[in-house]
Amino acid sequence: MTLLEVRDLRAGYGKVDVLFGVSLTASKGELIGIVGPNGAGKSTLFGAIVGTVGLRSGSVFLDGEDISGKRPEDIVRRGLSLVPEGRQIFSGLSVIENLTLGLTGRRDKHGEKGALDRVHDLFPVLTTHRDHQAGMLSGGQQQQLAIARALVADPRVLLLDEPSLGLSPTVVKDVFDRLIAIAQSGTAVVIVEQRAHLVTRLAEQTHVLRAGKVQATLTKEDAADEAKLTAAYFGNSGE
Amino acid sequence: MIQAILDAVSLGGVYALAALGLGLVFGVMRLVNFAHAELITVASYTLVMTHQFPLVVSMVLSVVVASLMALLMELLAYRRLRGSNPATMLIVSFGVSVLLQKIYELVFGALPRSASVATGLTGTFTVGGVSITTASVVTIVLAVVILLAMGYLIERTKLGLQLRAAASDFQTARLLGVRSNRLIASAFVISGALAAVVAFVNVVGNPQVDPRFGLDITILALVGIVVGGMNSLRGSALGGFIVGAVLSLLNVILGNGRVYAYSWMFVIVIVILLVRPGGILSKFATKERV
Repeated sequence: MTLLEVRDLRAGYGKVDVLFGVSLTASKGELIGIVGPNGAGKSTLFGAIVGTVGLRSGSVFLDGEDISGKRPEDIVRRGLSLVPEGRQIFSGLSVIENLTLGLTGRRDKHGEKGALDRVHDLFPVLTTHRDHQAGMLSGGQQQQLAIARALVADPRVLLLDEPSLGLSPTVVKDVFDRLIAIAQSGTAVVIVEQRAHLVTRLAEQTHVLRAGKVQATLTKEDAADEAKLTAAYFGNSGE
Repeated sequence: MIQAILDAVSLGGVYALAALGLGLVFGVMRLVNFAHAELITVASYTLVMTHQFPLVVSMVLSVVVASLMALLMELLAYRRLRGSNPATMLIVSFGVSVLLQKIYELVFGALPRSASVATGLTGTFTVGGVSITTASVVTIVLAVVILLAMGYLIERTKLGLQLRAAASDFQTARLLGVRSNRLIASAFVISGALAAVVAFVNVVGNPQVDPRFGLDITILALVGIVVGGMNSLRGSALGGFIVGAVLSLLNVILGNGRVYAYSWMFVIVIVILLVRPGGILSKFATKERV
């Protein structure tokens, strides 16, 4: 069951085009990776999907509904959440206040307590630090908070932009283990990562984005082949 | 002396309310709304023009008129400018301010309109041999009640949480589902209501309303939010209070030299900003530009 469908998306900033016809899909319970070098257009792709970057053409469908060009607050209320690059938690607010803000995007207002309980089960450290200022948490705890804040909105599709950024290898493994659990619970999870190997091992499919286009789509088995991954990531010359 | 302290606290409270109104809008839009002065003015005109009504009716009308005008400002002038640089928005707010002053001049005339509003508050009473004006006590009580209510709204309600989040990072707040149009409109409406409270306490003390009635207090409230810290609503209120209280005390301390009260107040402001360039409650350091 396809939850997210991106069709021939073109987007950019001002007069500069960044994406040149990107297409991809993500189904229920699927974990999809998007990798590529700096400037490939990965974050722009997420921005275009969630409505913070203007579309030139193309469409985005969420569970069959065309959400192209809708406002970010309307898109999250339809069930698509983004964990932005750099986490972007509200450092001056407490952990529980950050989570409460995440509830704003819920469609089902009756399930708020249950949603908070579930993320506290998934990320117990957030319960311990419930009333602490979010800016005082460690990098890994802040990343957990950013993911939990997106999850309490009960998204059908969860986008994560560089979730490993600034985290130690142990914490990265912990975060990715939880992302697998989230996907297994039925959410379509799409992860943008510059460090390709982190996501290629886990994702059913990994799209390699370069110069604003999907240059290759690799299965888990394809990505295990280092030469194939390198060729897709840097181009056929391997440079 | 007691009266001087009461006057200082009273004027400080008024400026705190004015600064809070400005700070709310600045927080969500990064707009220094110079036309806040005209919200105070229109609320003052409403009080004067409806002085024959029961006081409560007159006050409610002034709140409604100022809030509606704030909402119209947002819809007609500022909504399309979101995302523009702050200088553009500031110039537009100057434009809105001047335009409204001219409209008030056409409608109400350039000369002051006067009427006795809340005459019961203009008297004095004696406590322990000290004569105290009723207006200063009422102003303090009103300012405290409104500031506490605003504190509750900002710290304890969902709207307040969204306002604080938007003031910190509006883009991320929208990604969590915070409706930008609704939130900004709410900030303007609350700002209009606060302007009406400021108008009320000012009109009671000085019922001579002209088209530039709200200007001085708005300029000093702007100074207040810079002194307190532009990124903090608490800072805005504190800065407004400091500016108002210091100005009031200087007027007493300087005696015949009170014409220099503004000059001395700005000396104090400059010293505060030299020590705390980001404002008293600001958590951010200044960026080196040269």
